[in-house]
Amino acid sequence: MKSSSLLLRSLATAVLFVSFASCSENLDSSGVCSVLCPPVGGNVQNITLDAVVFDTTVQSLSGLGTESGLFLASRGDTLDTRVIIRYDSLPIKFTPKTDTARPITSVDSAYLLLHIDTLSIKANGPVTIEAYDVDTTASDTSTAAVLALFRPDRFISSQAFIRADLKDTLRYYISNAAVLAKIQSKAHLRIGLRLTGPVSSQMRIISTEGGVAPRLSFRASPDTATASPLTLSPLSSTPAGEAIIAFHLSDYTVIAKGPPPGSPSNLDVGGLPPRRVYVQFSIPLSIIDSATVVRATLLLNQIPNGLLDPADTVRILPSLVLAGKAVTDPTKAAQIVADIALDTLRITPGGSGLKEIELARAFPIWRTQSPDTVPRAIVLKILNEGNSPLEIRFSSREEALAALRPRLRISYSSRVPLGIP
Amino acid sequence: MRTLIAAALALVLIGSRGDAQGNISTQGLGYPTGQMSARAEATGGALADFDALSLVSPAAIAGVGSSALFFQYSPEFRRVTAGSGTANTTTARFPLVAGILPLGPTWTLGLSSSTFLDRSSETSLVRRQLVGADSVNETELTKTLGAINDVRVALARAGTPKVRIGGGLHAFSGSNRVRLSQLFPDSAKYISTSQSATLSFTGFAASAGIEFHPSRVLGFAIAGRKGGDLTASSGDTTLGRGRLPDHYSASVSYDGITGANISARVAHDNWSSLSSIGTNVQGFDSWDYSVGGEASGPRVVQRIIVLRAGARVRTLPFGFNGQRVSETSLMGGLGVPLARDRAAFDFSVEHASRSATGVKERGLILSFGLRVSP
Repeated sequence: MKSSSLLLRSLATAVLFVSFASCSENLDSSGVCSVLCPPVGGNVQNITLDAVVFDTTVQSLSGLGTESGLFLASRGDTLDTRVIIRYDSLPIKFTPKTDTARPITSVDSAYLLLHIDTLSIKANGPVTIEAYDVDTTASDTSTAAVLALFRPDRFISSQAFIRADLKDTLRYYISNAAVLAKIQSKAHLRIGLRLTGPVSSQMRIISTEGGVAPRLSFRASPDTATASPLTLSPLSSTPAGEAIIAFHLSDYTVIAKGPPPGSPSNLDVGGLPPRRVYVQFSIPLSIIDSATVVRATLLLNQIPNGLLDPADTVRILPSLVLAGKAVTDPTKAAQIVADIALDTLRITPGGSGLKEIELARAFPIWRTQSPDTVPRAIVLKILNEGNSPLEIRFSSREEALAALRPRLRISYSSRVPLGIP
Repeated sequence: MRTLIAAALALVLIGSRGDAQGNISTQGLGYPTGQMSARAEATGGALADFDALSLVSPAAIAGVGSSALFFQYSPEFRRVTAGSGTANTTTARFPLVAGILPLGPTWTLGLSSSTFLDRSSETSLVRRQLVGADSVNETELTKTLGAINDVRVALARAGTPKVRIGGGLHAFSGSNRVRLSQLFPDSAKYISTSQSATLSFTGFAASAGIEFHPSRVLGFAIAGRKGGDLTASSGDTTLGRGRLPDHYSASVSYDGITGANISARVAHDNWSSLSSIGTNVQGFDSWDYSVGGEASGPRVVQRIIVLRAGARVRTLPFGFNGQRVSETSLMGGLGVPLARDRAAFDFSVEHASRSATGVKERGLILSFGLRVSP
């Protein structure tokens, strides 16, 4: 009786165990695929097309001050950029410790706290940063008016640095008197920074858009026991009623002299002012609609540009043009883009020869959207657009030698019929 | 005109492909589970024509006794060896559910559903592809899930203890969901692709059967199913049409040994009628031979355990590389009455051997059947 019960229980347990073990289905027969799994998908086909029907260099119209950095450079005859920082709202009173508020009658230890991208620094010798009063009633976007204010009668202060001083946080002391004068006259404090020195130099200061704004700090009394430092973030009160533009103009870069552009027949990416390349394709519908694109590569011939830092690395990012049929101006269309690449092309301005830019991610979107909605076009831009003077040059479709013109190499597999064996 | 173009395109795109099953038993439209209950399976299928719960002979339901609900779970543990490679898989199947209701002393109504052809498989193949200027490894995943099912309504009459007759109407339905993924290694450069298709099947058939018991110890059964068209479609597009295989079987049963029963069965299916459904579907007409028996075994916890054993040899409906694939099976099992005979648990284990040139396949199929008489 006992043994019978044990047998039944053992049987029930075994059944339960097998039931649980078999509940998890495992159909994978990969181990024998060398014999039993003929390829179902087709072979990848590779074709190279002269698919570019239009290409051009356009300006990046992202807007003054939208960059994440403020590019301060003095590269001899090739490049000269200035940085403008606006403090349009200055306090007129301060509250000493253990006392009531009182008007500011003195300024002490005024300085700008600048955050430097140390990787961007190029300085082989001492550098000097000069500050100028660049407050003006001229149009906010008039860079010429601002540049005209870098003159002796507007000079505020100057500070020299050796290379070792240029760390990630830099205190740039400015004239206390200049700050006090602005406070007492209730004027805007708009500071223009300029880099000078015996050698070429450049640096990138993190901007408000970059997340760490350059701040103005000063004491309203030389007595450190009574006055705590006052710290101000950049603020632009103009243009009135244009809050977003005003926000961007709280700090921005002005190009006094940019590197000369390349030949109009070339395609130029990057540089200052920043440029983009707009490329439009004509791709057979049979590939977009009926095939599955596995890889698509834009083949470009690079033309060496030895003007500035030819061995420095530039990262190029392809973007998908989203501007519909209504936007006919390629410059405007090149601003309405979406990033499609997971990786960038790393390239040096001094390089040459064939360069490959991966575009496969554009095809799923082109497949689902009509050309009127999303044109078969891409834009090339550099990753730190507006923060780097480096410019990459490519041959365009106007290149005399056909082999050097832009081409599109597409790797695709045809959709295979599935279902009945 | 637009409809015609769309239909032509669909035919081109979804037409027919998917022969990477990774085994030899689910080639073509799939593996025939046999449509038998765990009890019949344990006897090699020899009892199937007399078994009320099996979806074989409609006449058999007349012998159900009391009304019954039946549910069966049959996982298969498969091992495939090809060359130096081996694959172990587990396929979970629920091949049979049945409800049988006696309508008085002579008539019995039955509604059953069973897996007719199971096509579940999954493979992964790595191969080199030249993509652009680079040669890369592409991983090709193919997964097919689904089956063609047979739903039968049967009516049987047992006018005398010697004769039972029955007829059934069958509706065949089901789907195969096929997915092909082509995966590439570097997502920054390459786009992995995936396509899928769902194939639906519709078909009808009719069956009839007769059992004749000239004496208390001897029984004969004959059953047949006449197949109608089986249509394969994707959406509203017909992709293929074939004829459901006609099926004929004959069985003999001997009860002359006290507490025991010995049966033998031979069946024929003309699977070749399905060949026209797809260009690469090649069906082979098959013979199915089985012999087995059951006997009262030991008494365990006041229950008499029924022990069963059997053997079966058959040809599978779809070949491999144009060759027939035969299957030889040895089975055993037991039956346990439960809840004072108001329920019964049947268990069978089947060891199936299949082979083709260069490929060996072993299947261990366990079947768990639970019958409840409400």
